[in-house]
Amino acid sequence: MSLLQVRNLHKRYGDFVALHDVSFEVDRGEVLGFLGPNGAGKTTAMMILAGLKTKDGGEVIIDGKHLEDDPVHLKRLMGVVPQELAIYPDLTGEENLGFFGSLYGYSGADLKRRVAEGLERVGLTEFASQYVRAYSGGMKRRLNFAVGVLHEPQLVILDEPTVGVDPQSRSHLLDCVRDLMDKGVGVIYCSHYMEEIEAMCRRVAIFDHGKILAYGALDELLDRNRRDLELLVEGWTPALAEKLGERVIVGEVRGDSAVVTIPRVDGAQGTNLTQRLSEVITLVQAGAGQLSQIHTKEYTLERMFLEKTGRRLRD
Amino acid sequence: MQDAWYITLKDLRLLWRDQRTLAILLLLPLIFITILGTSTGQLFSTKQKAQRIKVGVVDYDQKEFSQLILSEVEKLGALDIQEFDDIVAARKRMEQGDFDVTVFIGPEYTERINNLRLGDLLARKGRLKDELDSLNVKVESSAYFANAKQVVEKLIFGFAYKSFVPAIMKRDSQKLAMTLIRAANKIDREAEEAEQMAQEAGEELTQIAAQGPASPLNEQNFVYQIIVPSYTVMFVFFIVLLMARSMIEERDLGTLARLRMSPASEAWTIVGKTVPFLIVSIVQTMLLFIAGKLFFSMSWGVKPWFLLPVIVCTSMSAVGLGLLVATTARTDAQVSAYGNFLVLTMAGLSGCLMPRAWQPELMQKIGLVTPHAWSLVAYDQLLTKQYPEIDQVARCCGMLLFFAAIFFSLGWWRFKSLR
Repeated sequence: MSLLQVRNLHKRYGDFVALHDVSFEVDRGEVLGFLGPNGAGKTTAMMILAGLKTKDGGEVIIDGKHLEDDPVHLKRLMGVVPQELAIYPDLTGEENLGFFGSLYGYSGADLKRRVAEGLERVGLTEFASQYVRAYSGGMKRRLNFAVGVLHEPQLVILDEPTVGVDPQSRSHLLDCVRDLMDKGVGVIYCSHYMEEIEAMCRRVAIFDHGKILAYGALDELLDRNRRDLELLVEGWTPALAEKLGERVIVGEVRGDSAVVTIPRVDGAQGTNLTQRLSEVITLVQAGAGQLSQIHTKEYTLERMFLEKTGRRLRD
Repeated sequence: MQDAWYITLKDLRLLWRDQRTLAILLLLPLIFITILGTSTGQLFSTKQKAQRIKVGVVDYDQKEFSQLILSEVEKLGALDIQEFDDIVAARKRMEQGDFDVTVFIGPEYTERINNLRLGDLLARKGRLKDELDSLNVKVESSAYFANAKQVVEKLIFGFAYKSFVPAIMKRDSQKLAMTLIRAANKIDREAEEAEQMAQEAGEELTQIAAQGPASPLNEQNFVYQIIVPSYTVMFVFFIVLLMARSMIEERDLGTLARLRMSPASEAWTIVGKTVPFLIVSIVQTMLLFIAGKLFFSMSWGVKPWFLLPVIVCTSMSAVGLGLLVATTARTDAQVSAYGNFLVLTMAGLSGCLMPRAWQPELMQKIGLVTPHAWSLVAYDQLLTKQYPEIDQVARCCGMLLFFAAIFFSLGWWRFKSLR
């Protein structure tokens, strides 16, 4: 049985549907990537899991128990590392960990040990007695992470844990996530950094407009063998663009040259790539244009993300 | 419950590290109390010379009766008399603010007194119909003392009357005067006897009073019996701002969300966030009362231990209001706006800014819609009464707890709706 099962999760704010029929699972030792533009519903889903918001429908089952059955027990099973730093700047790193650790019922030597381990895990042992307000951005992020996992949760929600940190801190934090994975902890990893998701996650869920648009194993979703064709067309004119229509995706246009992509389309609607290339070459020549370069382009998570969610700017 | 204790310890630690704010909580009311105490003529328990009305006198009569009236007036400590030779100089000094009131005794003063008859004195009609005007005396005042002019007029007329009546009576009817004097002597004797009887009847009571605790009411420190509790109550409610800011900060830092994600229950989280401010508020009140005693010789009344429940109940209603404001305001600016509005308005209504005894009866009743007023009523009983009514103090504490319960319930409801 999966560590976390979310079925048909539903949440609305007045007339606005924040989550609609959202379902996903997280196994032990698995990192599930959460992707989506701002306002897509990822944060709402994570807040419901963390107990900060109530759901309007659906089921959340953690370690075989429904979220509402034993919330206190489930809070102990779960650790959250929020995107915004949630630590006290006027307490030291040690005091921050000690305070939050005590809320999870630890005290005395056990608490001291956990605090020391937590500080060591994120490389802050020598800064333990410094006020957090004197920490650098990366140190604060690492402490934020340490607070979230101090009580050794079985399921950890990481909301953009590496935003705004230097490469060293980022690398260290990603190592910490891998460490969690190795210990069998289930992780929900939310980030806008595609390379992080690709590097860390076996499965991903792409959210938009309160729904999951794509969900599954990353390898399957990306179809690693898939390649698009990218062409450089000289003599580019608006008339030629009109003739080519939806056969190509127009990229950068500079002067009378343009970069266009012939996407490989999956499924029954897709047509043979060679045939479509032939059509495009014919139309370019008929429009007095000239094909000067042609090469294949790897299908990345970012491309899939943009295809699924569109290029329109969000809030 | 342990969770509440951990949150309390954490907030106390944070408050302790913000020592400037703590200092302000204590120093600001002390500064206010000192300024007000000094303004009323008392500082550090040393009674200053009370402010007297300064009166300039121009005597154009310079005869027996005008000299007599001046010597009578000078006996009165409330007036500070200085004589001038001419009216122009006196007016100029008054315009410069050196004098509040100027009295002009006209050249016909003694002559007009000599023209008075016994009937004028008894009926205060006829030649005395216009009082000072009838005697060729005029009183002028500066703009600031327009209201005092009438008081001075009455005083001067009273002294004048006292100074010339015996002479006129003696002149016009020696026999009548003697009769009146005999009658007066008889009344005096009867009054002495009555006083003797009252003294004997109250001997036992007097002895009890003499053996009992000293009255908190004494001239030297009375003003502090009023202003120390008034400003203490007002500034105790400033904890509302501190508490609300702490909650807003916790929310902005994201640590409030983290507290809610922890196994700590919502109820204990609220208790944990409230108790530190309750402790600060109680300590603040106690320190202000200690300062009142040390610096201003303020008395803690005849039943000082009864102050404790009033202090605790007042602080409870203050932190209850703090929780309500903390969960209602969304930004620091809103905390300042709501908090200051509530705290200052309630202080004004209740009688913290101006003693309740000076307020009209209706205002005193309106003030009771605030917890401040109940606290002040309780302190008034305990700090200014020789025999405080403990029932009333208990009733006030009950009302303060009622306010605390209402504020706390609303605050809790708001806290839950913050999701």
